[in-house]
Amino acid sequence: MRPYLVVAAILIGACSTERQPPLVATDLVVTRPMPGTGISAAYLSLTNNTEKTISVTRVTSVQFRSVQLHESMLENGVARMRAIPELEIPPGQTLTLQRGGKHLMLIRPKGPADIVSLQFFDEDSLVLSVDAAFETKAH
Amino acid sequence: MGPKNFIVAIVLAIALSAGIFLATRLQTPAALNSAFVLPAPAPLPGFSLVDQAGNTITGDSFRDHWDLLFFGFTHCPDICPATLQVLAAARSQLAAAGQAPLPRIVLVSVDPERDTPELMGKYVDYFGDGNLGITGSIDELKKLTSGLGIYFEKQPGQGEDYAVDHSAAVLLINPDGDFHALFSSPHTIENYVHDVPLIMERQ
Repeated sequence: MRPYLVVAAILIGACSTERQPPLVATDLVVTRPMPGTGISAAYLSLTNNTEKTISVTRVTSVQFRSVQLHESMLENGVARMRAIPELEIPPGQTLTLQRGGKHLMLIRPKGPADIVSLQFFDEDSLVLSVDAAFETKAH
Repeated sequence: MGPKNFIVAIVLAIALSAGIFLATRLQTPAALNSAFVLPAPAPLPGFSLVDQAGNTITGDSFRDHWDLLFFGFTHCPDICPATLQVLAAARSQLAAAGQAPLPRIVLVSVDPERDTPELMGKYVDYFGDGNLGITGSIDELKKLTSGLGIYFEKQPGQGEDYAVDHSAAVLLINPDGDFHALFSSPHTIENYVHDVPLIMERQ
């Protein structure tokens, strides 16, 4: 076997045995704080790679004074927004936070920032930490 | 049939087909994607609010231009900015396509407790130049919304931490200052770019 094939085989073997993180975030979008209110929203997909349900009960950010779990809904032409106690992700499932649905509301930035860090907790256990740049203004 | 008669028959057939096609096109206006045009435009009810510069806003303030009215609040992180982004993007696309006149984007706050004129100004300016942000007392706001079938209600919360339920529709006001058409949610850029010029042309 040629040397580079041996290296490739070792790498593949390493990848196949590597444990996946228990909770993975993808497609993270954080809107820029709105002028006047300083309010942002974060949208992302959360995939649970474990065999147990993960409940995100709290999210924090060093760049914001508060992060709330919210759900928007449209009922009979009326837009409603409610705080929700947790984001429940069943084993092997993906929960998508998106516009007009579940989302994170980021309140009052502590100062100017280009990057936002988000820490997701299941009760007191840190289950995920991610960083993202703010969304580019769309218009 | 000789060759000459055959050619005459072909020409007549083509002319007839073209006539039918044109007549059909003239009689059937292009369908709207999503807007509902009122059978008879409805005058705005009497009310007195203020814009971001402190100017008094009444029904007369909507004369002489087209306006897209959305009812929302600045502390809304999700549906309100998403709707205003759709309206702003649609307006930009209409401008790029040479549409004239362009509709003005108007946000009427259903949360006058937090939405001061100064705050409304900062907020609506984020979505482009020339936008109007309107606020005022609950009583005056109710005069406008109840006359247009717009619902809003403050929800329980702690201090300044509360939400306001509100109708998600966008209203198109014509240059006579009348409620002319309604766009229901979900709002898409494509629907506004398609429907707004058609509605304006038919006015």
